Amino acid sequence: MDVEEMLETYFERIGEIPNSDRFIQCIQCGTCGGSCPYGMGTLFTPRRMILAVRAGIVDEVLSSGAQWLCTSCFTCSLRCPSQIPITDAIIPALRELSLLEGNPPEELAAALMNIARYGNSFRESPRKRDKWIKEVDFEVPLISKKKKAEYLFVTECFGAYHRRCKEITKAFAKVMHILGVDFAILGNEERCIGDLVRLCGEFGLFEDLVEKNIRVFEKYEFDKIVTHDAHAYNALLREYPKFGFEKEVVHHTQFLYNELEKLKELFGKLDYTVTYHDSCYVGRRNGIYEEPREVLKAIPGVKFVEMRRIKENALCCGGGGGGVWLDSFIKEHIKERPAESRVKEAASVGAEVLVTACTLDVPMFEDALKVTGLEGQLEVKDISEIVLEAIES
Amino acid sequence: MRICAVLRLVPDLVEELEVEENEVIPFRYMPNERDEHAVEEALILKEKTGAEVEVLGIADPDNEADIDEGLGMAAAKGADKLYKVILDRPSYKRAELAKALAEFLSDKNYDLILTGIQAIDSFAGNLGGMLAKNLGIPYIGGVVEVNISDGEVVVKKELGGGLLAEYRLSTPAVVSIVSAERPLKFVPFTKLRQAMKKAEIEEVELELPEFEGIEVVRYEVPPEPEITLIEGDVEEVADKLIEALKEISVL
Ligand code: SF4
Ligand code: SF4
Repeated sequence: MDVEEMLETYFERIGEIPNSDRFIQCIQCGTCGGSCPYGMGTLFTPRRMILAVRAGIVDEVLSSGAQWLCTSCFTCSLRCPSQIPITDAIIPALRELSLLEGNPPEELAAALMNIARYGNSFRESPRKRDKWIKEVDFEVPLISKKKKAEYLFVTECFGAYHRRCKEITKAFAKVMHILGVDFAILGNEERCIGDLVRLCGEFGLFEDLVEKNIRVFEKYEFDKIVTHDAHAYNALLREYPKFGFEKEVVHHTQFLYNELEKLKELFGKLDYTVTYHDSCYVGRRNGIYEEPREVLKAIPGVKFVEMRRIKENALCCGGGGGGVWLDSFIKEHIKERPAESRVKEAASVGAEVLVTACTLDVPMFEDALKVTGLEGQLEVKDISEIVLEAIES
Repeated sequence: MRICAVLRLVPDLVEELEVEENEVIPFRYMPNERDEHAVEEALILKEKTGAEVEVLGIADPDNEADIDEGLGMAAAKGADKLYKVILDRPSYKRAELAKALAEFLSDKNYDLILTGIQAIDSFAGNLGGMLAKNLGIPYIGGVVEVNISDGEVVVKKELGGGLLAEYRLSTPAVVSIVSAERPLKFVPFTKLRQAMKKAEIEEVELELPEFEGIEVVRYEVPPEPEITLIEGDVEEVADKLIEALKEISVL
């Protein structure tokens, strides 16, 4: 593509994303770059990306790789005085150009190809997606057998296949089981929900996933979707309705909060100092701040401390927006990855457990513990794991 | 210059294979990775020299549909012509395929025929060498880069130990590719679907000759490897690892 074609494709794409017309309202204030966890490591902050597009040198942005130095943390979008959809439009549309040029970072290309072929980024068989249910000591119902349930539990790819994240899936399923909730899973009929695919600029694949997923959802009767995957939650809540799928979607932090009275009766005592990490797509993007805090504070014996950067100012784990597939690329550009800075912050306020509410966080932070030497001093747990522990203690 | 790249299908090993006494039944097939590199290298040559690239997808009645995506991918990346060669039966004997393909290719006047250096599902490997022998033209394998300089084909070949050698080839010739000189180009979903819709694929039916001499006695699934996860803090893990290595006499 020459630059002209690139610009045409770019504007055609952002034209399809709500509020992108605010592009022209960029006042070049620099709030975005100053807020960005990668601001120091990139040649093109969002402000400069917009400037480059205006100046018709979009090819220079692409060859710098700056479009891949973003983990879709949403800080810039939230703070931008002109409310420009940087995270949902400006950056993914640049990424799309890079995909069309055929040369995205290799790890990310492989993940996208695996999703297209197998419905998951792990290059695992779609027929093994429900394997985790054989690893638990209670029955996890399949909706194909049950036909009807109050909650459809969406595990998403990390929750279904990733060795560590599977433990979170099992813990949350067990909490639902203990509470006697009427839930079921899609099992092997589930496939990638696709939020990261969208944020990576693979819009065609995202649409294909949405259409296929909606066809499967429509086969069964259920009232709401519940998920512990923050990006699945975000896509089902914000993107799927654009394709005609409108069902109530509940994040597991909201679910636990709604069940808190019942949970309180089950809670035993724990003896921890915990802090809570506001995951980008639970907190900043979707405004769920208090529910997880209330749940944690309700556990007897738990001492709750806050970090300094919390709620809308929380630091990103670095896994979102395809960040989990860009680790080596990002490492080349910045000295300290956000997850490393974040676990140090958790340790500095005296936390023994860093509680999160997004499946991507846990492997990101556990890896950061190894790099920073904080392993042994600080542990990382999903909120459902700590809830289950309190029930079982 | 006219280039032909051969694209075979192999079983997709992400899915479990059904292994029976005298048959292996894959759940589905995917393009052979080395052949994808051969196609990529052909397309790189097209970028460098304006060569014409034709891709020959090989399938059989069991996996005919699985080749379409690989051919679509080649079209999306700029291949000029696509063939879908449907063999009359599946065969793991590459000598049979080499003979049949050689007959098909003999009057096509390609300057270069590129294949992947290997595939995971053949008895003897080396389709490239056998193809060249059948066609009576030169063959070189282990190639990682193809260039045209002053009208002559010059290839870089891996000699092992990090050594590379350059060879000049007369054409026509068969070249087997280890890997293309750059990573496989990414093709977004929509572009691939559009290419698959638009692509004109010429179907060719080929009869395989039957070669005697090698017979299947039986297929067997290897025993599952034993995996032990060593857990604990750094000291513990190190101690346990040393123990384990001593047990198997590595230390
Ligand atoms: S914060 Fe918004 S208005 Fe300010 S430079 Fe960034 S994009 Fe432009
Ligand atoms: S979404 Fe986050 S990581 Fe991406 S550009 Fe904005 S502030 Fe930076």
